[in-house]
Amino acid sequence: MAGSRKSRAAGPPPPSVTLVLDNGADTIKAGFVTGDKADDRPRIIPNCLARDRHKKAYVGSELEKCRDFGEMAFRRPVEKGFIVNWEAQREIWDREFFDDKAPQRCDPSETRLILAEQPNALPALQTHCDQMVFEEFGFASYYRGIGPAFNAYQDIQAIFHTPRTPDTSTDIPAEILLLIDSGYSHTTVTPIVHGRPLHQAIRRVDVGGKLMTNYLTRLLSVRHFDMRNETYIANEMKEAVCYVSMDFNRDLEKTWKGTRGERREDYLSGGGIAKDYVLPDSHTIFHGVVREYDPGGASSRARRAAASTEDVLTLRNERFVVPELLFNPSDIGLRQPGLADLVMQSLSVLPIGLWPGLLANIVVVGGNVRLDNFIQRLQMELLKRVPDECVVRVARPEDPVISTWLGAANFARHEHVERLAVTKQEYEEFGAGWVARKFSAGLGVDS
Amino acid sequence: MNNFGVIEIASTTTKTTPGWAYVPDTGPTLPAVAQPSNRKRAARNQPALSLSDLSAREETRLRKELEALDRDNHRDVNIPIPPRPGGGSRAQNKHTPNVRKILQSQKTFANHLDDYIAMLALAESNPVAAAAMNAAQPKPSTPTASASKSASPAPSASAAGASKRSAAAAKRAAAKEKQEQEKKKARQTPKLEREPEAEPQQQQPPPHQQDDDVEMADTAATPVQPAAASSNQEQEPNPQTYPRESQILPPYAKPPPRPHPGDDDPLLVSAIPPFPSDDELRALMTAPPLSYLEARATWAEEESRYPVRVFCAVCGYWGRVKCMKCGTRVCALDCLETHREECLTRYGL
Ligand SMILES: [Zn+2]
Ligand SMILES: [Zn+2]
Repeated sequence: MAGSRKSRAAGPPPPSVTLVLDNGADTIKAGFVTGDKADDRPRIIPNCLARDRHKKAYVGSELEKCRDFGEMAFRRPVEKGFIVNWEAQREIWDREFFDDKAPQRCDPSETRLILAEQPNALPALQTHCDQMVFEEFGFASYYRGIGPAFNAYQDIQAIFHTPRTPDTSTDIPAEILLLIDSGYSHTTVTPIVHGRPLHQAIRRVDVGGKLMTNYLTRLLSVRHFDMRNETYIANEMKEAVCYVSMDFNRDLEKTWKGTRGERREDYLSGGGIAKDYVLPDSHTIFHGVVREYDPGGASSRARRAAASTEDVLTLRNERFVVPELLFNPSDIGLRQPGLADLVMQSLSVLPIGLWPGLLANIVVVGGNVRLDNFIQRLQMELLKRVPDECVVRVARPEDPVISTWLGAANFARHEHVERLAVTKQEYEEFGAGWVARKFSAGLGVDS
Repeated sequence: MNNFGVIEIASTTTKTTPGWAYVPDTGPTLPAVAQPSNRKRAARNQPALSLSDLSAREETRLRKELEALDRDNHRDVNIPIPPRPGGGSRAQNKHTPNVRKILQSQKTFANHLDDYIAMLALAESNPVAAAAMNAAQPKPSTPTASASKSASPAPSASAAGASKRSAAAAKRAAAKEKQEQEKKKARQTPKLEREPEAEPQQQQPPPHQQDDDVEMADTAATPVQPAAASSNQEQEPNPQTYPRESQILPPYAKPPPRPHPGDDDPLLVSAIPPFPSDDELRALMTAPPLSYLEARATWAEEESRYPVRVFCAVCGYWGRVKCMKCGTRVCALDCLETHREECLTRYGL
């Protein structure tokens, strides 16, 4: 054992190729870093097995070949953000990365793997992951770290468009940052100092894209017709029409039909909120289409629909009550704080001296933050909760879905990776428990 | 009450339709904590429900609704792995025992979480057993791993802290602890449930040293001495020791302080937040991760006092009136009538 350091120093040089994976519940973001060069952007791979109504099965990126998503069923290896079903995950990884004809083929025995995971994983699942990486795939080198922290390895001030002189140096990792990641399974808040996540202050609310899509599906099924087997179509609708309300009470008033016999002006005109949505018919239309609301009402829509046989839904408060769950989970009886309170709960366990730096550097990533007004609403709610003199800045990277991957790809070229990655040889010498402890201990403190 | 004019109609409705009434919106009816549904069946046949029956019914409905919103598919689906066109390239038939067990596992996240919770409970009730379980660190099951080097140190922290690193089912672990004690005496392979591959711990770890749950490896049969553990830790490359310097964050400069008329107010001077010391920062930056459960945010006390917004179950507007039959909220007459049809189907008259 005493010779371990020597053997490590004398070991082979680290692999020149790194496979960087942000292995999400909905999609995998995957790309390579070779030496100093990284892919410009990752490939985005559906992380699922899917089966259409004709019983045809699709694995991962095969889903791109599918046209008709009606009644599509899904099997997802990632549950609650964590890889749970390795039978399915291995199949997807094999087809995407390891098979002879894989679109992003690599040889694990000559490759380092950087894998982003969600914070606060169950240790048993982490162990499964590490065992699969080394014992099944045989990667030469490996680091598993939490996704939010990888975001610190980006030029954060560029995301904020902070004015800078040309000679200002870029801090990588960023000095201080509060990262909000809102994905398929949940939403997390992670304060990060110099790339080190402040673990004691990481908080999670179990509202994510899946919950919101299912909620939209439920509302439509109560109010229009049964969409419960049309998750894919409902998700497309959510992404196309949903927005975060800046004034919930006002918008709710505008979308209420009123008491019996009442003819409310905003309801009749749509109040600037109502939208028509043309559903896919699985013959000529395969993706839904948003249309301006037709205040001519049901009669003119019925005439048009009769001519074209199209199914049109009018969406009113469905547009904003669905994203509202991020800010008020109790609207569906979920007893958890909304996003702004989540941030405050995270800050509350940190010294007040850190608050100004964190509040002035809030970065939001993940698919849900693309919803219109997400940033503005969060900023507005935070300003109500912090002292008047506090600056609150919230920024969204250009593409919030691939931000974690971009950060991880930068990390793969940073000297920190050599401190954190473990080799297959170390795994075999010291065991999975040691690997897990090394990953969980992180960088420690220097500089 | 706002003037949308349903109140006086409500009284007639109560008369003509037994079991229905408008009631004033009395605010949230969510009980403070989730409770199991133990309402009496007879309650369903009563013309009206008592408050506690109503809240129990609502609580059950709420739980079911949240569960439904958490699903990947509305129906249960079983999508087997489809055959691979042209076959793969990676050798598919030489799994290590660890990998074989992982691939065959049908556990869901909820199962794993239950295991973890059970393990925490065991740590609380029986620290010795938990510590023994923690001594059982997962080992790589590769034929090349040598025995002398695969001994991993027991986490030196307290049983509770260490337990966070290991997750296994306490119910099974408790049974197993007994078996392991027998094993220590007998040094024989016990007939463990669900563990056909279990083998006694020996100097040379066999390739099949792990049981169904990797974190419950049989190495627990040889408890690691605390002293040995700490010396082991010193010999291994320690991931936590890195050069330390005095200044972690430079003196606070961001955001630039903005002049404020209240700057000179003596009442505000003390409000300038003191910047954390390096020791404080270092402690924060090296603190271990929280568990899945610890990171889940819950209502703070002041938040649980906030009124919960209630909505019309039909159209989504404010839920200002309540169905006396089932407690569902609706906005007004039209939606109540729509709801009534469903309510009758579900609960009868
Ligand atoms: Zn209504
Ligand atoms: Zn009812």
